[in-house]
Amino acid sequence: MGRFILKRFFYGILVLLGVIVINFFLFNVLPGDPARMMLGQRADIASVEAINKDLGRDRPLVIQFFNYLNDLSPVSIHNASDPESYWYLDQTKYNPVVKLLPLPGKDVIVLKTPYLRRSYQSKRMVSDILAEGFVNTIILAIVAMTFAVFLGIIIGILCAIWKNSFIDRISLVFSVLGMSLPSFFAAILNAWLFAFVLGSITHLNMTGSLFSVDDFGNGEYLDLKNLILPAFTLGIRPLAIIVELTRNSLLDILSQDYIRTARAKGLSKFRIITRHALKNAMNPVITAVSGWLASLLAGAVFVEFIFDWKGIGVVIVNALEKYDFPVVMGAVLFISVILVIINILVDIVYGMLDPRISRKS
Amino acid sequence: MNFLSMAGNTILEVNNLTTIFRHENQVTRAVDDISFSLQPGETLGIVGESGSGKSVTALSILRLIPNPPGKITKGTILYDSTNRGEINLLTLPEKELRKIRGMEISMIFQEPMTSLNPVFTSGVQVAETILQHLHVSRKEAKEMVLQLFDEVKLPRPAEIFRSYPHQLSGGQKQRVMIAMAISCSPKILIADEPTTALDVTVQRTILDLLREIQEKHRMSILFITHDLGLLGGFAGRVMVMYKGKAVEQGSSIEIFRHPQHPYTKGLISCRPPLDVRLKKLPTVEDFTSGDNGKIGLIQEESSRLFSLQNIQSAEEREKIHREIYSKPPIMTVSNIKTWFPVSFSLFGKPLDFMKAVDDVSFDVYSGETLGIVGESGCGKTTLGRTILQLVHATSGKITYEGVNLGKMKAEQLRNLRKELQIIFQDPYSSLNPRINAGNAIMEPMIVHGLNGNSRQQKERTIELLEKVGLQPGHFDRYPHEFSGGQRQRICIARALAVGPKLIICDESVSALDVSIQAQVLNLLNDLKRNFGFTYLFISHDLSVVRFMSDRLIVMKSGKIEEIGEADAIYAIPGSVYTRELLSAIPKPFL
Repeated sequence: MGRFILKRFFYGILVLLGVIVINFFLFNVLPGDPARMMLGQRADIASVEAINKDLGRDRPLVIQFFNYLNDLSPVSIHNASDPESYWYLDQTKYNPVVKLLPLPGKDVIVLKTPYLRRSYQSKRMVSDILAEGFVNTIILAIVAMTFAVFLGIIIGILCAIWKNSFIDRISLVFSVLGMSLPSFFAAILNAWLFAFVLGSITHLNMTGSLFSVDDFGNGEYLDLKNLILPAFTLGIRPLAIIVELTRNSLLDILSQDYIRTARAKGLSKFRIITRHALKNAMNPVITAVSGWLASLLAGAVFVEFIFDWKGIGVVIVNALEKYDFPVVMGAVLFISVILVIINILVDIVYGMLDPRISRKS
Repeated sequence: MNFLSMAGNTILEVNNLTTIFRHENQVTRAVDDISFSLQPGETLGIVGESGSGKSVTALSILRLIPNPPGKITKGTILYDSTNRGEINLLTLPEKELRKIRGMEISMIFQEPMTSLNPVFTSGVQVAETILQHLHVSRKEAKEMVLQLFDEVKLPRPAEIFRSYPHQLSGGQKQRVMIAMAISCSPKILIADEPTTALDVTVQRTILDLLREIQEKHRMSILFITHDLGLLGGFAGRVMVMYKGKAVEQGSSIEIFRHPQHPYTKGLISCRPPLDVRLKKLPTVEDFTSGDNGKIGLIQEESSRLFSLQNIQSAEEREKIHREIYSKPPIMTVSNIKTWFPVSFSLFGKPLDFMKAVDDVSFDVYSGETLGIVGESGCGKTTLGRTILQLVHATSGKITYEGVNLGKMKAEQLRNLRKELQIIFQDPYSSLNPRINAGNAIMEPMIVHGLNGNSRQQKERTIELLEKVGLQPGHFDRYPHEFSGGQRQRICIARALAVGPKLIICDESVSALDVSIQAQVLNLLNDLKRNFGFTYLFISHDLSVVRFMSDRLIVMKSGKIEEIGEADAIYAIPGSVYTRELLSAIPKPFL
């Protein structure tokens, strides 16, 4: 198992390297001059050149790429003394920094948090911008998926036990409806129905993020009830899919020979389903859940927009609109890291559920 | 209250059991008015072919029939329970019945591969039964399981306890199943084809084990099988089932020596005998007239099949062989190795190999049937596929009519495929369900551009259908409309469509019932006589191989153990392994 995880980890790093290369060169061939964007259309040539020099854009692309890699790597080499150097260890960029080993000359090897550059627009650190949005997104995604997984598996089991019953048929209808409902429409519908029409009963807001600003100047406070509607909206489609997957996969498993063996042992129906069938039936569900979780963590743009939820999806859309490449590049990299981590986690879960996957016979 | 009562000293009495299956609007009587009884410590064998209702009978006893579509509509199953006295299992509430299942009546199933849950260790699965029925702690249960594993002769019980099913061999899995079944010392053990999926030597040891356990625990065994030969030394009484009905019941010695019912007679005689060499196998149809399932003896035909004319004498055989082996071989296989990599280094370099075929050499002569026999995993199937170039040999040379097959270009090889054909094991999966029989047979002709235009090809196809014993009207039918035997006939016709010279039969009759097996074997021999084919006949079934083969290759772990004239090998096995293999063939009373 340990070797298996190590191997997956190694592949994950390879994938990330590939993403970095494509990411960097793609955004350097795209049109759009950051200096012009920062200064406006009427800037003079001297200022434009100054900014290009500051960003290192006057250097060859390959050098720029290595500089970018050096910035991203947690262990990197920097020039410690000359502030004019392209490789200067600038405390405003790299913070916190631990100097590991001085090299001959002025260079030094340091340990640092990856530096994702600064936004062209707001001049803020990209890592700060992403971290802010990501906290909101991760909470929304996890709550939505937890809701979908728990309810979905339970309804799926009920449908499998009472196949072709009233419950089964009704949930099939709702599943089809849930799967075919576009998220932006579901978002508007839910906001209108639960926060506007039924607002006086539910006391929910039509829009709002995880933190609300106090009207009396006491700063931000946690506003958990704003989580309900976006999480519910995001959970509808995964819920519908999980219900159907659990039901079908469970029905398939229930016709297997080892279920007959379990019945011949004298086990109760409840125990057969919860112990013998469910563990076998979970693989397709895990695949679906991981896919959904990954895509939700990459930001649910429509839902975030409609509910004014300050998540990573909104950050990316805003950055794209303004050609704010450092933010977009940072976000792409960030999302890749998340996907790689989720994939490794899912492989571990598969291995725990089914010993045939990770062990060699 | 219970006005039904059993005769004294009977543990299980089944009366007029009827189980139906409903598919859409069609009702099938899988078990039709069956009655039998079981005494303590006795073994009752139920024999029948697929679809005879023998498994459904077994499952009906513990009400394990999947419902819907199955339903028990009639009958009583009286059981003499330890604590509850005499009860009718069919009317017992589900909750009460659960206390009988696994505790007083337990079952083992045909497929040990799929009957164990793949995601739990084998120890946990056996312990589960114990914890369900007996009031013991987990630790005590584990101790009991280890003892049971020891009793069913599993090596290293502690290690098996921790192993998942996929880490065990087929025989070991079946031993785990047996341990599970006897864990609560049941009074009745129902064994539903417990050895069918296993190799012949493993089958033997499992049967010995069952007999030993039965003596020790004084259990009654209900033993269900399709193989009459298996019951000879095992069951005291036998019930023969045919199309849901019990056609004959009696002591097994009586049934083997003096079968009364024509179906039983047919069943006994359609297995290739080991003592004499028949020219043509009798089939069940020779004993019964198939119309409307009515059974009546056709005296004339069967007497002909048992006459001396049907026995091939050693002299006749020698004469044929002298002719075949005087010519140079049609194919030479020299030092073939087919290795599959099983583990790789980080950079994809293979580190370790599974040596499926390991340094094998032999000749094939035109007009002979060369049998290849061995247990599962011995490499016989890989060898067949390597010869056809479906799998690439790691090293070695195969020459066919003087040409090296390994060196051929793709185009040449495609032309050659006309001459080399294969008939696979499973007629259910080797036909595309969406292509009708006629087109399946015509396809290879179209691919190779044979037999003129499409009208002529169709005529040729109909001719082939007739040759393999089907009707021209079958041209437009789809595979699901045919029985297993008919499907295998289609596969044979498809192989014949391109006019081959050498046909590899890879376990071609293993998936078929014994009576249908006999028909297909006769067909293969008839075709060979008419067209002068050469067969490579691959099988794990020693009796079938012997009936078919002129010469025989015995394989073990990728290597040739022994090669020689078939009858000679059976008479005087040259190697220890062959002797072991031959002695494991179940023999009815001789």
